[in-house]
Amino acid sequence: MLNYLFRRLNLLLITALILSIIAFIISLWSNQERPAQHINLFMLYLDYMGNILQGQWGISLINQKSHMINGLIAFSSTLELCLVALLTSVIIGIPLGIFAGIYRDGILDYTIMSIALIGLALPAFWLAIMLIMLPITFDLGLPIDGNISPIYEIPMITGFQLIDSLLASDLYDLAAFIDRLTHLILPAVVLSFFLTSEIIRLTRYSISQVMKSNYIKAANTKGLTVIQIVFRHVLKNALPPIIPQLRLQLNTIISIAMTVEIVFDAQGSGVWLLTSIRGGDYLALSAAVILISGFILLSSIVIDILQMVISPTTRKMLYADK
Amino acid sequence: MRFILIFTTALILSGCYQSESSLKDNLIYCPESKALSFNPQISHDISSLDATTHQLYNRLVKRDPTTQNYIPDLATGWLLSEDKLSYTFFLRENVNFHQTEYFTPTRHFKADDVIFSLQRMLDQDHSFHSVNRGMDYYFFNHPFTHLIRNIVKIDDYTIKFILKKPDITLLDSLAAHYSVILSQEYSEQLIARGTPEKIDFYPIGTGPYKFKSTNDAGITHYINHAKFWGGKVSVNNLIFDVTENNTKRYAKLLTGECDIIANPAPSQLKQMSEKPNILLSSEPTANILLWAFNSNKIPFTEKKIRQAFSQAVDQKNLLEAVFYQSATATNTLLNHQSWAYNRRSTDIQYKPQEALRTLQEMGYDFNSTITLLTPVKNSLFNHSFHKIAELIQANLLKIGVKSDILFLTQTELEKRLISGKYDTYLTSVNGKINDPDSIFRPLLSCDSTVLEGNSSQWCSKEVQSLLNLTLLESNFTTRIKNYYKLQEIIQEERIYFPIAHALRMDAFKTNISGFLVDPFTGINFQNIKKTEAH
Repeated sequence: MLNYLFRRLNLLLITALILSIIAFIISLWSNQERPAQHINLFMLYLDYMGNILQGQWGISLINQKSHMINGLIAFSSTLELCLVALLTSVIIGIPLGIFAGIYRDGILDYTIMSIALIGLALPAFWLAIMLIMLPITFDLGLPIDGNISPIYEIPMITGFQLIDSLLASDLYDLAAFIDRLTHLILPAVVLSFFLTSEIIRLTRYSISQVMKSNYIKAANTKGLTVIQIVFRHVLKNALPPIIPQLRLQLNTIISIAMTVEIVFDAQGSGVWLLTSIRGGDYLALSAAVILISGFILLSSIVIDILQMVISPTTRKMLYADK
Repeated sequence: MRFILIFTTALILSGCYQSESSLKDNLIYCPESKALSFNPQISHDISSLDATTHQLYNRLVKRDPTTQNYIPDLATGWLLSEDKLSYTFFLRENVNFHQTEYFTPTRHFKADDVIFSLQRMLDQDHSFHSVNRGMDYYFFNHPFTHLIRNIVKIDDYTIKFILKKPDITLLDSLAAHYSVILSQEYSEQLIARGTPEKIDFYPIGTGPYKFKSTNDAGITHYINHAKFWGGKVSVNNLIFDVTENNTKRYAKLLTGECDIIANPAPSQLKQMSEKPNILLSSEPTANILLWAFNSNKIPFTEKKIRQAFSQAVDQKNLLEAVFYQSATATNTLLNHQSWAYNRRSTDIQYKPQEALRTLQEMGYDFNSTITLLTPVKNSLFNHSFHKIAELIQANLLKIGVKSDILFLTQTELEKRLISGKYDTYLTSVNGKINDPDSIFRPLLSCDSTVLEGNSSQWCSKEVQSLLNLTLLESNFTTRIKNYYKLQEIIQEERIYFPIAHALRMDAFKTNISGFLVDPFTGINFQNIKKTEAH
């Protein structure tokens, strides 16, 4: 177990090093006052890393706040969107994937898969623009712009506005929370379109693999109903392999979320980077590299460990290695 | 399947959601851009005026929106001396300044505040004169410097303006957006704290709303000034939510995220006017879109060439293609609502054949290419310089005149204009006060530089003396006559080809009433009322 952790951390360190060098190069390039030729690049890099570790990521030209604070606030908003989208996609995608997997090559399977394919094929930003028209055409009264209505002035505590608005319930009761939630609906729908398609595809494949195996055939001959088979045997074996696949989608999801945020003008990392670049504040780019890729790295390790805990096959591989 | 699921969830959730516009106490106004500062003394763009003049501040006098007469604001009345050289103003008593988190006033408004605010623009030694680089702006002290010799405090509530020479534009200047009254007490506190620059960004005034906060996303909060001398406003929270994209602004008006939007896209006006729950307001402005001919450069030194070029452009077509209903065609520089507007001025007609004949007679070189400068950035009242320039180019090509369009950024443009190496220039000019001089002088005076507005590099003794004479003239009829004459000269000389006066457009829901826009000083939310959304 420890051995495994060490191996993972090793990999993490190497990747982190490469990333920090990229961030360093960007910051060098964006720095207006070029360092004199004779200064050692290595020393500069060490200086830079020292500052990063101390939380001094530079000051934004746009609002005179620290890049780290700006980045964290923006990224937490993006994460919130991703999490809400992930949750809805899992709720919708997994059952559909299971149906498609069990009745493989049936009408139900074809219908679900065609919809999933459309979901994969639609460009997110286009879908976002189309969805902006939804509340107007159907008179839904859903907000299409921003994170939360400007009426509510939510004090920032955690950076996650869903939580912050709940904490501010003494000011606005639940109105601010509901408002934040409604502001999340449309961006989350766009994002979950892509995610759900992906989850359906993965679940379907995984389920259909399990369905072919001998123990399912045995269960069938035992006379168990389909529901019993699915809950007793299939899910336990089919779901764990989906998790590492989802991990691979993490960066895609975040980058799509950033595009979607720009369309909906939600104040997340997409808008943060866009305004920074427009304002010539390129140091924000290097902060974004550290922040976003650092998050992806860390979370992929957490997912790995999580998978090891819940999946017997990965655990077995681990012990076999020993 | 997923469509249905998503749709029903959205429906259910939207049931819980209370659209912003249903809350009577809040009003959300969505302008196109952010205010540059919260003081109209140093920021003269429309967004800054909208965000400040009527909301945060008061002036000594203002104009009645219907009769256009001067009415008291912070002054209760005024007297003009026999020799017309001094104005005495009597000030309103018991006027409170805003009390905010960053300032608590200890006294009422008095003469010192007026002197402080106006001297800031006039007096170069004033401690706030150069704060926030106010003096960089052409209009910062321009309107007053030629006008006022001194401002004298007689007592706490009486003040006297002594003029250099009789000039009747004083009231216009005092009613203009830059004559707002700031708090002198606040300025002293700021100096003591060592942060004088905050005066323009954390504003203190006497207006119906007080500043609460503003953020990077362009959202500014104002709250009702409970001790406002002019009575209570009916909307407590005023919110400015900057939305750059005009389609998005329209969508937000429909979803109820905005109560009022500024500058709807001209192409959407027709659709908006067909919606039963949306009202459109249009207000003529002193803005003018014009095509300037560089009168210092051959061939535009010739009057006939300039005339021929104006005949070659199809103004009607331009307006229909670019502005739809959001502008009125014009043949003079003055707004048609102006008292000096000469109704009998001759029209420019679209006569390409005649233009061609004149050019041939004048020996115009059809192999040469003329330059057409135009800014890359569109102004608030002109949504597409690009399109207009291309239409002009196409019109010119019809009579065989070749032209090059140069789209330049502000800095490039300024360099080029100063160098004088251009034939024509497409631009728009905005009048700052309701006096014709504020339009004519920058455009036509020999003293006005190309960056101040004289993009035709025009200088004529006749026009100059007419401008100077009229400014000093106190007889109203003579002033009108002089301006009529001036317009006839411009018309004849064709220094500029005026294209259109853009209208200031705003759109709002039918549950909003009391909406008022002054073309010179911006939007006014003081009398606005909001009822339950339908």
